[in-house]
Amino acid sequence: MTQAFRVSSGLVDQSRTLDFTFNGKKYEGHPGDTLASALLANGQKLIGRSFKYHRPRGIFSAGSEEPNALVQLRNGQFLEPNTRATITELFGGLEATSQNHRGSLKYDMMAVTDLLSPFLTAGFYYKTFMWPKAFWEKIYEPVIRSSAGLGSLSKLPDPDQYDKGFLHCDVLIVGSGPSGISAALAAGRAGARVIMAEEDFVFGGRLNAETYEVDGKPGCQWASETVAELASMDNVRLMPRTTIYGSFDHGIYGALERAGDHLESGSGKPRQILWRIYSKHAILAAGATERPIAFGNNDRPGIMLAGALRAYVNRWGVVPGRRIAIFTNNDDGWRSAFDLANCGIEISAIIDSREIAPLAAPGGTAVIMGGRIVDTSGRRAIKSVTLANGEKIHTDCLAVSGGWNPNVHLTCHQRGRPIWNDDISAFIPGENIPLQMSVVGAACGAMTLQTAMHEGIEAANNIAGQLGRKPKQFAKPRCEDESFNIAPFWHVAESRTRAWLDLQNDVTSKDIKLAWQEGFRSVEHLKRYTTLGMGTDQGKIANVPALAVMAECTGKSISETGTTIFRPPYTPVPIGAFAGRSRGKEFRPTRYSPSHQWASEQGAVFVEAGQWKRAQWFPQEGETHWRQSVNREVVQTRSSVGVCDVTTLGKIDIQGRDAAAFLNKVYVNGFAKLAIGKTRYGLMLREDGIAMDDGTTARLAEHHYVMTTTTANAVSVFRHMEFCRQCLWPDMDVHMISVTEQWAQYAVAGPNARKLLQKVVDADFDISNDPFPFMACGEITVCNGKPARLFRISFSGELAYEIAVPTRYGDALVRILMQEGEEFDVVAYGTEALGVMRIEKGHAAGNELNGQTSARDLGMGRMVSKKKDCIGNILSEREAMNRDDGLTMVGFFPVERSESLTAGAHFIEIGMQPATENDQGWMSSVAYSPTLGHSIGIGFIKRGHARMGERVRAVDLVHSNDIEVEIVSPHFVDPQGERLRV
Amino acid sequence: MSELSLKAVSPLNGYHRDFIGISLTEITNKALVSIATPVGGEVKLASAIKKSFNIKMPEVGFSANSENEDAVFLGMQPDLMFVYFDHSADSADTFISQQLKNCGYYSDQTDSWVMVSLTGPMVRCALERICSLDLHPEAFPSGKVSRTVMEHLGVIIYRATPDKFILFSARSSARSFLHALEISIINATEQVEK
Repeated sequence: MTQAFRVSSGLVDQSRTLDFTFNGKKYEGHPGDTLASALLANGQKLIGRSFKYHRPRGIFSAGSEEPNALVQLRNGQFLEPNTRATITELFGGLEATSQNHRGSLKYDMMAVTDLLSPFLTAGFYYKTFMWPKAFWEKIYEPVIRSSAGLGSLSKLPDPDQYDKGFLHCDVLIVGSGPSGISAALAAGRAGARVIMAEEDFVFGGRLNAETYEVDGKPGCQWASETVAELASMDNVRLMPRTTIYGSFDHGIYGALERAGDHLESGSGKPRQILWRIYSKHAILAAGATERPIAFGNNDRPGIMLAGALRAYVNRWGVVPGRRIAIFTNNDDGWRSAFDLANCGIEISAIIDSREIAPLAAPGGTAVIMGGRIVDTSGRRAIKSVTLANGEKIHTDCLAVSGGWNPNVHLTCHQRGRPIWNDDISAFIPGENIPLQMSVVGAACGAMTLQTAMHEGIEAANNIAGQLGRKPKQFAKPRCEDESFNIAPFWHVAESRTRAWLDLQNDVTSKDIKLAWQEGFRSVEHLKRYTTLGMGTDQGKIANVPALAVMAECTGKSISETGTTIFRPPYTPVPIGAFAGRSRGKEFRPTRYSPSHQWASEQGAVFVEAGQWKRAQWFPQEGETHWRQSVNREVVQTRSSVGVCDVTTLGKIDIQGRDAAAFLNKVYVNGFAKLAIGKTRYGLMLREDGIAMDDGTTARLAEHHYVMTTTTANAVSVFRHMEFCRQCLWPDMDVHMISVTEQWAQYAVAGPNARKLLQKVVDADFDISNDPFPFMACGEITVCNGKPARLFRISFSGELAYEIAVPTRYGDALVRILMQEGEEFDVVAYGTEALGVMRIEKGHAAGNELNGQTSARDLGMGRMVSKKKDCIGNILSEREAMNRDDGLTMVGFFPVERSESLTAGAHFIEIGMQPATENDQGWMSSVAYSPTLGHSIGIGFIKRGHARMGERVRAVDLVHSNDIEVEIVSPHFVDPQGERLRV
Repeated sequence: MSELSLKAVSPLNGYHRDFIGISLTEITNKALVSIATPVGGEVKLASAIKKSFNIKMPEVGFSANSENEDAVFLGMQPDLMFVYFDHSADSADTFISQQLKNCGYYSDQTDSWVMVSLTGPMVRCALERICSLDLHPEAFPSGKVSRTVMEHLGVIIYRATPDKFILFSARSSARSFLHALEISIINATEQVEK
């Protein structure tokens, strides 16, 4: 028989049927069901096994606080473990399986651990498995790890999509129960921009779970009609299936929208969206969570919270049993009896720990005042309860209510501490809640309907006033202000069997007492020692009863005992949602140079340089090793001409009457006297005198310069100079803007570089040596009038130019250069050949400007002009930076020329141990020089310039290299610089 | 004279795509030039703009539209404006320099940016997936401009009309930017090929 426990009441659409499976067995449910309600409707009480003892567990709650009913949804790559059945919206085709058992759910072999429970009490792993020591790593830990955990990951890439987003509002309303909807209505009618977020897929909160009336109609109907009005307002955004999981600074809230979890996979849309909500005000209307009473064997399937029972009956039309008992310490628990009676369900007894009955029970119902349940029976589902007086009551469902805990979590996310309220025997928000947050309704301890609704309206009207909007006057909803009386009763002391406090982590009242006996006095220590309040539910229903037990141990009140602090997230947030769409190649942006398409067509091998993709080398047919390609590119460039895309270098346009003076201050060397049409190499120091970046700066006009930086430091140099301009010298008339992206720039290097360029530079411009000598620059035109800039600078040591055109022409220019260069056997070269040639020439680059080296170390100490001030000038004069035995950048040859040098090797004198005290410096860059036919290196060694010809060892312990090297000039090729001046 | 000529390529090759409620189009017929205000030269520059474009200099975060070349002056920071105007030829800075003479410092930014327009009633829904700014008309009305970040990319966003936004982002990462926009649109709306 399908859905044997379904009754005709409730809000689900019983005219339609949804098929789903649980552990492979087919079941039916209806739209509007959760997986939990559908399983209960089908009489499935055993849902899973507990974390530690593998005890049979059923459905305990009807919301996100669920500790027991954790299941795995879907399969294969889509498998998602540890999902709460109580908030899983049912859809056709849903596949669910139970978790944390070996063998079947019914016959779990791991249930043997329950028999071993006397040895597995709180903190057992801290004091067991201590001997023999070697067993811990090899036996104990692997066994414990294989036994621990709940669900299993698929270990496959998650095929679902996730997204993120940003929302803004005047008022964020967290929760859509009576107080939340009331607040939204008032704020919405006042014209405020409202977001109302609800973790459930139906708005209304407890109005859907109870039989309250509002304005003379069922509460659920009032909620539905009011939500319809809110939905019609342009200024109100309703967000169902959305959990506000965290409260952060400045009114920012994190929200997880489960946009597609209720759909079969493959919708093509993100299943979850992580929103950042910027709010001016927030109204926390998160309601309250019911808590249980601890008694012997209170964890059997069929035992659930009384409020959850009412929700299953009233909202989902499901009766979790045929003969239901109720155990309570408060008036609210009695509501369950009336709702059950209205459905014609037999109530086996109302057991109230208080002495005096607050109400008249439904006709014929047994009432046991002062009653206490000490034990239950039934292995896979409850069969009976035993009272302290020995009386046994047969039942197939037990509803328990120990009172309600306001959901204060979000008030604590910025270190706020809740305070104890004796009236409701629960924590309520303290004074130190997040700025601009109001708390209303049950979340604030207002446990009756009318008070909650009125609080919501008043808070919203108050906020509307603060926003400068005029609250609309409307009649407050009329509703019942039901009684809410409670007498604290946390656990049944007479129980001789284990009484469970934290069902998810299998923590009992005995564990709490044991922790106290062993000296754990702080609740934070208690939590960590016993694992209380961990896991997916974070102790939403367990913490307060456990604190009460600890308070009993200490002889203090709960208020004095304190509570652990609540941190985000309120409920679990998948890692995938935090990652959003930033996966795979979309993890970060990619920057392409203007020649990328052309280089791809040439089969270039690309390297990531920051976000840039740069051509590393261009393999040719027959080349089987990258070095063959690089050697060819170097040789061909040095013998004829090569072209390399250097667009990625930072370019900064600098203009202003004080531009020259500004450059004088940021560079160590002088720029004030640089002639128009000339370029100069410049070195920039940090304030502490360490080299920051280098590059060339060209003077295009009296007050107009263009600076180049290294690719890596393009942003940081610009930021540094903006800081200088805005903060250090705000009176200077100097203005900067990045033009890195504006110009496609190519190095054209080699003896035939000029001949090649003369074919593309328009005839009006003479670029021969006399009118356009080394370090000249100019604004020219190319290819019949297209604007361009030409710089005669060289990184390779050859006759070389850098030519720049507006980026739109970058692709065309490289094609033309290669086409027109065919007669010179032009070669395209990549970053590897670029690096080889700069090492051959002895130019410092990123490896040398590594944040540890000074101008002096780099052999450019004399460039630091003492005729002017500049950033880093003073501190570069520190004694330690000017020692006679300081480091100097020099070159290195392997003594045995066939050996290959490695960057990172440290220099040790021959005969000395490779130890820190003998360290003489390090090799910063190495390359195989096709020009010289052997490996070469640049590095820093003490007194380098004075040690030319000396031999030391280059020791690389990481790569087990120990090579004897000779100290030489770093300028391996054309040390006199004759080639670049021809 | 050489027969060589350079063919211009736009960052997204003239991309255009229609989605339900949104059209995404690369802008290729406009130029962008930065105008820095010389220290002490604010009045002179404002006067030149008034004379050439018949508008007041915009405040930071706002824009001013001129009928001359359909130019929009965008107030970027206290001493910096961008002017976005009809211009398909090279050297857009030269054109502005001819208009405003030596009253400011000009730099052609046309090739620095990929320029796209997003139009349609669903634009805000798509942008809220990647733009942290509040784009509600009360907070970001037509004519407003701001620098921001979308998917780790620097972006200038300008609201031309209630349903039209112009976005500028770095040219080299144009493909990543386009991908971010497309995914945002697809995730927030339904896609229709035309």
